[in-house]
Amino acid sequence: MFRTRFAFAWTGLAAVLAVAVLLPTVIHSQQPAASRPPDTSAAVTPKVVGAANAFLASLSAAERAKCTFGFNSSQRTGWSNLPTGIFKRNGARLGDLTPQQRSAALALVAAALSREGYQKVTDIMNGDEVLKGTGGGRTGGKQDARGPGGGIRFGRDEYYMALLGNPSTTEPWMIQFGGHHLAINVTVVGANSVLTPSLPAAQPARYVLNGQTIRPLGRENDKGFALINALNSRQQKRAILNYAVNDLVLGPGNDGKVIQPEGIPCSELDSRQQSMLLDVAHEWVGILNDEAANAKMAEIKANLAKTYFAWSGSTKNGELAYYRIQGPTVVIEYAPQQGDLDHIHTIYRDPTNDYGARLVHP
Amino acid sequence: MSERKWIATFAAVSGWLGWAPSAGAHRLDEYLQATRLSVSIDRVDLVIDLTPGAAIANKVLAWIDTNGDGRISDAEARAYAEEMLRSVTLKVDGLPAPVELVASSFPEWSDVRLGVGMIRLQAVAKIPPAGAGHHVISFLNTHRPESGVYLVNALVPDNPSIQLGQPRRDYAQRGMTLDYTVGGAVSDVPRTWALLALAILVGSLRLALRRRAPLLTVNE
Repeated sequence: MFRTRFAFAWTGLAAVLAVAVLLPTVIHSQQPAASRPPDTSAAVTPKVVGAANAFLASLSAAERAKCTFGFNSSQRTGWSNLPTGIFKRNGARLGDLTPQQRSAALALVAAALSREGYQKVTDIMNGDEVLKGTGGGRTGGKQDARGPGGGIRFGRDEYYMALLGNPSTTEPWMIQFGGHHLAINVTVVGANSVLTPSLPAAQPARYVLNGQTIRPLGRENDKGFALINALNSRQQKRAILNYAVNDLVLGPGNDGKVIQPEGIPCSELDSRQQSMLLDVAHEWVGILNDEAANAKMAEIKANLAKTYFAWSGSTKNGELAYYRIQGPTVVIEYAPQQGDLDHIHTIYRDPTNDYGARLVHP
Repeated sequence: MSERKWIATFAAVSGWLGWAPSAGAHRLDEYLQATRLSVSIDRVDLVIDLTPGAAIANKVLAWIDTNGDGRISDAEARAYAEEMLRSVTLKVDGLPAPVELVASSFPEWSDVRLGVGMIRLQAVAKIPPAGAGHHVISFLNTHRPESGVYLVNALVPDNPSIQLGQPRRDYAQRGMTLDYTVGGAVSDVPRTWALLALAILVGSLRLALRRRAPLLTVNE
């Protein structure tokens, strides 16, 4: 009797111990790098699908064939920041569309993005129209310079719309809108939408339109400088890299790559500084519609302790500086080009969810 | 691998790599040289993207097109790629790790003239298998320093038992030193504990069943 009780007691203890050891191991082995993002914009997806179908309905069969692709086609990764004439884009060119078709295309962009995001896209496109009028900036290509795809062309007409997959409230599909200094990739999977990878850039970085000074990436610049200057000297020493960063590290063509994070971990920032960093990140995340952006911000916030902020260059606003925010589910880079403050490239990626990878292949 | 086979592989992979979209801005008088290192137990893979600026395109063409016929032959491409790699010094734990060309792709020269054409070199340094513990990699690129601007980064390894430390670089990013550790810490230990726990669980269940059987018989 005693032996039996002893055996049961021993067995129970051993089982508890084994489960205690096994459980975390099993959980650890099954846990993906980042969990599936929460469902978000139940109300937004039908609106975006409606806008996509309205755009497609405005096109002839031949036009539709030109701008629709399979969801898994190579078109998905075939985007660039380069202007027409250097990079050959597929899809419907705005300059070839009727005013009604063009409105439908832009209405689709507006439906997928937030109000601020759509404004940013408009500001970048208007900037390219300014570039066209001035024949190109100090750095970058010159209007009409000979390229493999003909002469380099700038301007609002040189932006392209492509749809990958069929617009659907359940099946994955994608909106690709871009041109010089702009690549917007929105993957829609059911109620969720994902903006990564996307590339908002600007040249000129400041211009005047209808008497108003426009800085398409002005907030990204100013908020970055505000953050680095909100750090104390010890924190700055951690955040500021002791080397020059001359370009985006993970620009176009670098899908799926994760570099070793550098700079200061956000766990070493106080709550005000953390809020400032989230506000900087929101400049990219918030291009997407509010509901999807809020879900993404919550995910970035949850990973904040494992997120890094790195800076290279001057800390004086108005001078050259590069910065990077890198966490488990986000990479943002801000990089002036070739010493030109009037020519800014940025990139926004999620190494775990570019093109909605986590949603499409959970 | 025979010379002919090597060239065939070289050409095939070059063609495959050719689809890669050009990156970055339209450069002017800079020669951007961006390197990414991938550390494994017994090798270091390097991808080096070379983007000549528009203003120095002809100069770079002259470096590659050594016979001056205005086109880049496979032999010229390979010779330039190997020349570039001779400017790269890689050491692991202080010992030289020779870097060998695996593949390369060269852009249309019209792209290079616009400052957007990118040469991509893929290379590998095979190293003695790194044992558990601390290791150091040092990388230095001295290719064309008169016009070169440099980026060098380490990719997070696929193998979770390799943990990278913080890279250290010179200001121009021509060189980088990277500490890393190889350990059972990440991959081996949980597996060992899991097997041990599983053995305890199975043993306990067998013991319980053996003990429980006569007890149930008595109760009946």
